[in-house]
Amino acid sequence: MASTTSFLPALSSALDIPDTPDIERMRRETGARLRSAMADRGVDALILLGNNAVVYAAGVSWPLGDAGLSYVERPVAVVLADDPHPHLFLPFREGASSESGLPADHLHGPVYLEFDEGVENFARVIEELIPAAAVIAVDELTGAMRRAHSRLFRSGRPVDAAQVVGAAKLIKTPDEVSCIRTAVRITDTAMVDVQAALAPGIRQIDLSAQFTRRTFELGAMASMLEPIWQVMPKYKADGVWTTHGDLALPLLTTERELAAGDVLWTDVSITYQGYCSDFGRTWVVGEEPTPRQHAQYYKWQEIMDAVLGVARAGATVADLGRTATKANGGIKPWLPHFYLGHSIGVNAAETPMIGTDLGDEFDENFVLEPGMVMVLEPVVWEEGTGGYRSEEIIIITEGGHIRLTDYPYDPYGER
Amino acid sequence: MATEVLADGRALRTGRRERALAQMEKHDLDVLVLGRQANVRYVSGTPQLWVAGTRPFAPTCVIVRKTGAIHLLSTWDEGVPDDIPHENLYGISWNPMNTIANLQRIEGASTAKRVGTDALSPGFAQLLPTAFPNAELVDGELAMRAARRIKTTDEVLSLREAIRVAEAGLAAAVAELRSGISEKALAGVVLEAMAAGGVSTPSTQDAAWVTSREHPWRRASADGLVRDGDLVAFSSGVLDGGYTGEVGRTWPVGEVNGSADLYRRWDALWDRLYEACQPGAPAIDLLAAYQAAGEELPPMPIARGLGLGFDPPVVSQHLPATAAEEQLEPGMVLAVTGYVWQSGVGAVFGREAVLITPDGPEVLTSSPSANVAVGV
Repeated sequence: MASTTSFLPALSSALDIPDTPDIERMRRETGARLRSAMADRGVDALILLGNNAVVYAAGVSWPLGDAGLSYVERPVAVVLADDPHPHLFLPFREGASSESGLPADHLHGPVYLEFDEGVENFARVIEELIPAAAVIAVDELTGAMRRAHSRLFRSGRPVDAAQVVGAAKLIKTPDEVSCIRTAVRITDTAMVDVQAALAPGIRQIDLSAQFTRRTFELGAMASMLEPIWQVMPKYKADGVWTTHGDLALPLLTTERELAAGDVLWTDVSITYQGYCSDFGRTWVVGEEPTPRQHAQYYKWQEIMDAVLGVARAGATVADLGRTATKANGGIKPWLPHFYLGHSIGVNAAETPMIGTDLGDEFDENFVLEPGMVMVLEPVVWEEGTGGYRSEEIIIITEGGHIRLTDYPYDPYGER
Repeated sequence: MATEVLADGRALRTGRRERALAQMEKHDLDVLVLGRQANVRYVSGTPQLWVAGTRPFAPTCVIVRKTGAIHLLSTWDEGVPDDIPHENLYGISWNPMNTIANLQRIEGASTAKRVGTDALSPGFAQLLPTAFPNAELVDGELAMRAARRIKTTDEVLSLREAIRVAEAGLAAAVAELRSGISEKALAGVVLEAMAAGGVSTPSTQDAAWVTSREHPWRRASADGLVRDGDLVAFSSGVLDGGYTGEVGRTWPVGEVNGSADLYRRWDALWDRLYEACQPGAPAIDLLAAYQAAGEELPPMPIARGLGLGFDPPVVSQHLPATAAEEQLEPGMVLAVTGYVWQSGVGAVFGREAVLITPDGPEVLTSSPSANVAVGV
């Protein structure tokens, strides 16, 4: 096992983020975090099927495809508590093309866990790798795996691997932060061109087309989300029906032509080395914001400043939520089905989330630690303005935070 | 795509639901709890936000056989067909206990005896009995797969449209193929062209790669740049109206010594694969086609059903028994892959969409091939 002396220290300023991620070191450090989370929960072996979990656990990345095809052609990872290297079962392209740097005896051919025959083949390998008495955690059970339950899980009912992987992912290593920062830079750079093209008559989908091509040219590995350019209603009553009576978000992109004065809430995410970016800004099409719209932005900035003022190691996520609500005059500045903010990594939205229906107790008990990455996305709404929403990504440090987002607030503000 | 988010058409929806309900009856399922996007779309007819990669299981759509009622995870009604009333929509939740509470309210949940799920996590395996206290939890994906494997007439129309968009993406990338361009830039061209055609949801983003001269399928170059003498594979795929349209081609960059022979081998292989796509034929005939052509079986499935994601049959060298049991039937649409490799030359990869009709195979893809360009 790798010595801990080769690990990078926790980040305290942007200068500590490696310019280029060292993928081998990243895999070593995330692997150690994962096995530590396994030890905390008494788990001896992990069987991971979920694309994002495999990216995290095995340090491999590939351009993720649609879920429907990914269920049948997907890498599978097996992580053992006493082995620094994961076992990887790789299909033709997904992951196989990235130089995984794993020992040859840890690389296996594809497995097809959607089929009884595929599970039968997999079970034979698993029996060799995992002792019969081992406590196993798994993140997904296909129908065929459920039918072969007693063969795959010889010591009894498996534990939920989502808890184990989730715990390991909470704190990002400096190389993971470097990957996220590169993804953010690619996104921000591509967005400059997209925003410049924004004009009455352009279709929502044209913005998606331009954004996607530009990010790939700049080195993106994949788009994580169909790009969102939501035209906001002026009044809540003009918006689509929702279960909670508040605003809908995100609504899907169409071939709708944008008109002068349309207020757009944007949201996109791409990956670099398997790690996600996040981007959100509010734009007005072809016009300057009105004074009332400007005021929305200033209110948003006031909330963001207040939250950043308390965002540091030791604060709870409830502290951030309370601060945001107070700065917004006692009204929660986020939509009922979402959150004030969330973390980010191999998934575009990860734990912790701030202000969800997980409840106050969850938020009060969740303490921020150095190395956590948070996306803050307050929403400000005043009838008649189309509202204001933007996103800022920060890394929590001992003394405060480091900002990763570096994109202007045009046409609303300069900061 | 239109300028509004619309539910799938009535004929498409009802045709699929009838097939799903028939399979529920056949598999003796009182309730289906679906988490996979393809299944949710199949049953609900509602466009969903596209996110790359597999998703963890969560109850996203519930169908009750007795009433035919569909309950859907959706915080808004945009794109939701009018046969799913507002009271059947439940909002996004981050707390699984709230999700379970939503399921408990569904009429028929408390009395259901057999509940199928299309996948499961250990967490929901523990929680779902709270919502379905009298039910045995069983695999529901087999029932959904049986429903999905044969396409209705309207589904075939949707697939044809999706293939058209994928082919536009492929054509745009082939037009920009030149020495010095990167694989990623080519992928960007594919995705840009498909979005310009109205669809911003790819089925694959691994859209172009230089094939290796040294290894049957490994990555050719570390820098991802295309050079003269390369054979470059294109895999264009889109999710249009939920349906997967796919096409694959390989194009040479400049002169590629030995490629004419390789394209000829691909053509010979394809003739045999095409002949194997007969109604009533066992799916394993596709594996036999490779053997008869004297070609090594590639690492990927050489055929899989096309629809809302993957459908049966999936024909792979790793699943021979599965292929032996599967029979091709009219109404199946397959993505059939031909793959040939020559040391020192590279690989020719081609993927066609094939509809099995009562009279034989109909190839739905029509993108030009490089075979003509290299004089085959």
